[in-house]
Amino acid sequence: MAPVSWHSVDLTLDECIKCNICTSHCPVSAVTDLFPGPKYVGPQAQRFRKGGQLRSPDHSVDYCSGCRVCNEVCPTGVRIAELNARARAQIVAEKGLPLRNRLLGRNELLGKLGSFAPALANFALHNTFSRFMAEKVMGIAREAPLPTWSTSGTFRDWLKRTRDQRLKSHKKVVYFHGCATMYYEPFIGKAAVVVLEHNGYEVLVPEQNCCGLPLLSNGEFDAARTYHRNNVSRLAGYARAGLPIVGTSTSCTLTLKEEAPELLDYHDEPATTLKLGTYDIFEWLRELYEAGELRTDFQPLPLKLPYHAPCQQRAHRIGKPALELMALIPELELAESHARCCGIAGTYGYKVEKYQIAMDVGAELFEFVKAQGQDARYTACDSETCRWQLEHGTALPSRHPIEILAAAYGLYDLERRDVVAEKR
Amino acid sequence: MMLDLLVIGAGLTGLMAALRAAEAGLRVKVIAKGMGALYWTPGTIDILGYLGAEERAVQRPWERIHELPERHPYRIVGVERAQEAIEWFRIRTAELGLDYGGRRDGDNALTPSPVGAWRPSYLLPAGQRAGDAEDGRPMVIVGFQGMRDFYPHLIARNLEAQGQAARAAVLPWSVLSERRDRNTVQLAEALDEPKTQQRLIDALRLVVKPGERIGLPAILGREAHSWVLTALTQELNAAVFEIATLPPSVPGIRLATALRRCLEERGVRVEIGMEAIGFHAQDGVIELVETATSARPLKHRAKAFLLATGGVLGGGFDSNPSGRFWETIFDLPLTTPQDRRRWFRPLFLDPRGHPALRGGVAVNDAFQPIDVAGNVVYTNLWAAGGLLAHADPIAERSLEGVAIASAVAAVEAIKLGSFAHA
Repeated sequence: MAPVSWHSVDLTLDECIKCNICTSHCPVSAVTDLFPGPKYVGPQAQRFRKGGQLRSPDHSVDYCSGCRVCNEVCPTGVRIAELNARARAQIVAEKGLPLRNRLLGRNELLGKLGSFAPALANFALHNTFSRFMAEKVMGIAREAPLPTWSTSGTFRDWLKRTRDQRLKSHKKVVYFHGCATMYYEPFIGKAAVVVLEHNGYEVLVPEQNCCGLPLLSNGEFDAARTYHRNNVSRLAGYARAGLPIVGTSTSCTLTLKEEAPELLDYHDEPATTLKLGTYDIFEWLRELYEAGELRTDFQPLPLKLPYHAPCQQRAHRIGKPALELMALIPELELAESHARCCGIAGTYGYKVEKYQIAMDVGAELFEFVKAQGQDARYTACDSETCRWQLEHGTALPSRHPIEILAAAYGLYDLERRDVVAEKR
Repeated sequence: MMLDLLVIGAGLTGLMAALRAAEAGLRVKVIAKGMGALYWTPGTIDILGYLGAEERAVQRPWERIHELPERHPYRIVGVERAQEAIEWFRIRTAELGLDYGGRRDGDNALTPSPVGAWRPSYLLPAGQRAGDAEDGRPMVIVGFQGMRDFYPHLIARNLEAQGQAARAAVLPWSVLSERRDRNTVQLAEALDEPKTQQRLIDALRLVVKPGERIGLPAILGREAHSWVLTALTQELNAAVFEIATLPPSVPGIRLATALRRCLEERGVRVEIGMEAIGFHAQDGVIELVETATSARPLKHRAKAFLLATGGVLGGGFDSNPSGRFWETIFDLPLTTPQDRRRWFRPLFLDPRGHPALRGGVAVNDAFQPIDVAGNVVYTNLWAAGGLLAHADPIAERSLEGVAIASAVAAVEAIKLGSFAHA
C-alpha cells in the first residue's frame, strides 16, 4: 500500500472552530454510539494522525458512512469527509482489508461476472440460503438491498442492438454510464440517451472503467488509482476536444470531478481536464435550459413525486438541477426531501454490522415519503444505491429523474422502465 | 428567470432579508457556505446591551442609540425604523409559533449566561423569560451528570455572587438518554419524545423546592419545544426556563429552522454548502457571483446582491499574518486598520472592544458599500449585518438588532428601485 498523503484537505482542519454544527447534523452519530461524530473523528483525531504513523488513533472513523453532510453544513469549510476517507485508507494500509470489502469495492467485476449468466447469477445471489451464507461467511447483511443483474442484456448490448437507430449529429456529448447502468439498470442509460438525442445530441459512449468510488470508500486507494488512471486516459481527450462528459450516477461524476483527484492527489493535466469537463447530467441539462436550448415539449405527468437529492449529488454543490428541471413538467407535483441521508451510503449499509445503522439513518427519509400519502406511487432519486435503499425502506418503486424527464418527453415508460416507440 | 436578489449568507441577517424581499414580491434566493451563525447564538434578540466602557448593562436600549458612533448601523436606520423592524420580526416569528417577548417597559431583560453572568437582551424566546433577574425568586439550576457544555454549579455560584439566590442540582444522565454521549441538539430531539419528558418531570419533582424557578440547559425539545415547556411548567407547578448552552445552541437552531421553513413555503430556496469564491462586475455593476462546486464555479446571476456574510466569526472577513484584513467575496474597502498591531487592544476583555471588530464595510444611507471617498462601490450591491463598520455587535450585545434592522433597511432600499438601472 502506498502511503496516504496529507495535503490540501489536511490544511482545512485548522479552520475548525469546534462549533459542533457538523455533529448536530451527522445522521450516523444521531443513531449510534459507535460513531462519536464528525468533529471528533475528523478534525480532532486528525491532530493525532501523522503520515507514516503506525497506529491510527481512532478506529471509529470506519463507522463514518462518507455521506458528506458534515462538509455541507460546516460554516468554515473543513473537508471533514475527506479527512475521514483518508484516515480509513490509513487503517486499511495498517491492517489490511477483509475479503468482503474487497469484493464490495469491485462492483464492476461483480457486474461483469454476473452478466455472463444474469438469471443464474440472480438466483445464486438472491435466495434465502445464499444471502444467509453471505452474511455468515462474508458479513454482507442478508436483508440489504443488493441489485439484480439485468436479464435483458447490458447497456452496451442495447447500444449495439440499436446502433442504426441512434442519432448522428454534429452536436455530441459523451455519456459516462457507471457500473450500475451497465450491468444492473441499463434502462437508466436508455433514458439518458433518448433525452440527449431528443435535444439533438449524438451520444458517444467510449470504453470506460468503474470510477473507483467503491474502492475509495473502502480505503483501497491503490486500486482506485488504477481505475482512475484508465478513465483519465480514455476520456480526457474528449474533454480536451470540448465535449461534455455527462453521467447519470451522481457518485461516479463526483468521483471523476473531485473525489479521485483530491483523495489520490491526482492533479495532472489530463485528470484536471477530465474533472473540468465532467457534469452531472442534470447540471448539464440545466445549462442547456439556461441557454434556451433545452426542449420543453413536456407532456403532463400527473404524479405526486417525492424527490430526494442524494448526499453524493449534494456534494457536487450545484444546487438541485434535477428538481429545477422536473419542475417544468406540467402536472408533476414534486415534494422535496430535506432528509439528510438514506443511510446506504454506497456499500456502507450492505455490511452486516452497519445494516441497522443505515436503516435507522434512512428512517427520516422513509417517514418523509410515507407522509406524502397514498398518491405518491413512485419516489425519485439520482443515485442507484439510494434508490435501492429507498425501495427497501418504503416499498415504493424509485426512479431516476432522467427517467421522469424521458417519460415527460413521451419517450419512456415509467412502469416498464423501457424506452417507447423504439423502431425495430 | 433572472433573480431580483441574491442574498449571500444564511444567518439572521440573510434569512430576514430574504423574507422581507419575498414579502415585497421580489424573486430571491439565499446561498451560504454552511449553516449560519444562528447555530451559535442563544436565540435572544439583543438590541444594545453595553455602551462604550460603561460596566453596567444598558437599561433602555432605544434611548441610548443616539450615543453610538454617528455611522453606526442603528444611526443610519434611525430608532423608529429599527423599532418597526424588530416589531415586524416579533410578529412574523409569532406566526411561526415562536413567542418572542421582553419586559413590558421596554427595558433590557437580564438572563443567566452559560457561565452565570447576567446577559442583557431585548427580546427573549418564551423558554427564557422566567430566567429574568427582575423576577427575584430563588433559582435551582439543574444539570445532568456527564453533560458537556453545561455546568450548573458554576452558574449557580456566579449568580449567588451577584445577589441572585441560586443553587445547583444534578440529575442522572439516564433521565435524558440511554446513549453514551449526546450533544444538545440530540438531547433536544430526545425531549421531543413524551417518554423522555415524563422521565424529566419525575426526576425534577424530587429536587425542586416550592417557590423555586427551575433553570435547565436549553434542550427542552426541538420541534415540541412549546409543548415541553408547558408540560414542565404545569406538572411541576413552577416557573421553568432555559439557559443557552455552548454551541450548538438549540434556541438559535429553533429560530433558524423556523425561518428556513417559512422561506421554503414562500418558494425561496436557501442553498447551503455554496461557498462564494468570485464574481464578475462590469462598469460598477455586479453581473454574477460564483460559488465553488466539485468542478467548475457555479454562476449565480441576479439584478441585486445583498452581502450578509457576517463578521470575523461568520466568515465575512479573513486576515493573514502580514496584516491584511479583507472582505472575503468582493474585497470591499474596509474601515479596519491594515496594520496588525492595531487590530487588538492589549486586554482581551477590554470593555471598549477591539478595532478589528468595530471595523468593517462602510455603507451609505441606503446600505450600499462605499469607499473612503464615499462613492458607491457597486451600484447593485447592498450589505447588512455583522460585517458593517462602526458597530461591534459582540461587545455592544447588538448582534441580532443590527442584523434585523439593517436587513430590513437594505431591502427597503433595494425595493425603492435603486436597482432599476442595474
